[in-house]
Amino acid sequence: MIDDKPLVTIRNLCFSRGERAIFDGVDIDIPRGKVTAIMGPSGTGKTTLLKLIGGQLQPASGTVEVDGKQVHRLGTRDLYRLRMRMGMLFQSGALLTDISVFENVAYPIREHTGLPESLIRKLVLLKLEAVGLRGARDLMPHELSGGMARRVALARAMALDPMMIMYDEPFTGQDPISMGVLVKLIRALNDASRLTSIVVSHDVREAAQIADYIYVISNGKVVEHGAPDAMMNSASEWTAQFMNGLADGPVPFHYPAPGLEQDLMGGA
Amino acid sequence: MEHDASANLGLQVLEQLARLGRIGIGGLEQLGRAHLLLLHMLAGISALATRPRLLLSQLFSVGVLSVLIVAISGTFVGMVLGLQGYYILSQFGAEQTLGVMVAASLVRELGPVVTALLFAGRAVSALTAEIGLMKATEQLSGLEMMAVNPVKRILTPRFLAGFISMPLLAAMFSALGVMGGYFVGVGLLGVDDGAFWSQMQSKIDLNEDVLNGVIKSLVFGFVCTWIALFQGYSAVPTSEGVSRATTRTVVHSSFAVLGLDFILTALMFGE
Repeated sequence: MIDDKPLVTIRNLCFSRGERAIFDGVDIDIPRGKVTAIMGPSGTGKTTLLKLIGGQLQPASGTVEVDGKQVHRLGTRDLYRLRMRMGMLFQSGALLTDISVFENVAYPIREHTGLPESLIRKLVLLKLEAVGLRGARDLMPHELSGGMARRVALARAMALDPMMIMYDEPFTGQDPISMGVLVKLIRALNDASRLTSIVVSHDVREAAQIADYIYVISNGKVVEHGAPDAMMNSASEWTAQFMNGLADGPVPFHYPAPGLEQDLMGGA
Repeated sequence: MEHDASANLGLQVLEQLARLGRIGIGGLEQLGRAHLLLLHMLAGISALATRPRLLLSQLFSVGVLSVLIVAISGTFVGMVLGLQGYYILSQFGAEQTLGVMVAASLVRELGPVVTALLFAGRAVSALTAEIGLMKATEQLSGLEMMAVNPVKRILTPRFLAGFISMPLLAAMFSALGVMGGYFVGVGLLGVDDGAFWSQMQSKIDLNEDVLNGVIKSLVFGFVCTWIALFQGYSAVPTSEGVSRATTRTVVHSSFAVLGLDFILTALMFGE
């Protein structure tokens, strides 16, 4: 019964940076065992949302509940215990640059378990095998391509067999092959490890390809949510513009400015 | 009209006062954050007992890698002291006290102060850049999300390494400085070998001179490393932000060392 409850429940979330409201009453449910994509134009606070779910930022109001626990009411110890069950893939990979690929993946295992070295080795090699980089174990992070770094980071995020993984813009800046590999990996890992995945992205095609459910946020609000097919054929002009990448629509092509003629004639 | 002008002036004055207030509050806030960070770093020291390797690797990069610059600088400063001291002392026929002059200058002042300034330029500025870049590349956030406390795991070993390394480097600076002074005074300028050492032995006091110098270097090591780690940890996570933070570290550390040196000297050697 408890499995039917969403893994992450966000209610009436408000968060501001200075004067600017990033979220203004956002409600999101992340179902268990599914891939949920959170999409929206750049600068809408998608990464901020992941940091709020991970307890790295404190909301102005509203609640974020992960697996039945209110993230922002937890003490440091309980929050860290919860984070051990969450993996996060950062946009940059966020690998520790002074240790090898193997040591990066082994890092959380060494930190949180007292497992013997032989077992750590097996675990790390299995995680690296899952992302196809067992052969790169001795490389240093600076020797990896962007796509490889993200795959290593993914292996590290999975190291402690978390209940969910949050992906922060996993497809940004990837070549078509790396992009294809990542798309396949995210879906395959989600299904094979019975994970819950949250993919934050503005790469509509790739995200829609693997997501079971999509939330589109803009200007601090959830604009629309639904299954990928429904979203692609949305009646909402804004969603249609975003999902289909149209240059003009409710989001204007031009940044607000006085009329061109007036601007050209009135210049100094 | 006149009323408007005076109202405008009043507004401008208020605006300036508000600006001053904002700067003051911002400064206090930074100070508060720096102290909180210090408390968190100190709280993490006990955890290092189970992971001595973290400290050892930092002792290597903060301390051992600074040995060469400190050793070379110490030797040359000692040689210059020997040369200048000889020229002045010989005018009064007191060149036999050269050893005292060289040693006292080094252990009381130049050892701790110059080493701290070199330390600020060579080691702690690198700490700021390293921590700032770790922040900019989300490595610190990554650790947090792996349920690892970055202050305890990354900052505390560096803080302790800076605190331990600084007095050792200052001692090395002073020792090599004395050897440099000896080389110039005794080796090149003909000061009596026995007088050089015996005068030094009788006039340099363990508590008054050496211990006070060690206390100074401990204080400088503590403050410089603290400044560096705070600047790195609170750097704006962009290349410009890290560059500014690194500059601030060197400037603030240098001022702190020179200011604290005056205060400590007044407290230690004042009547």
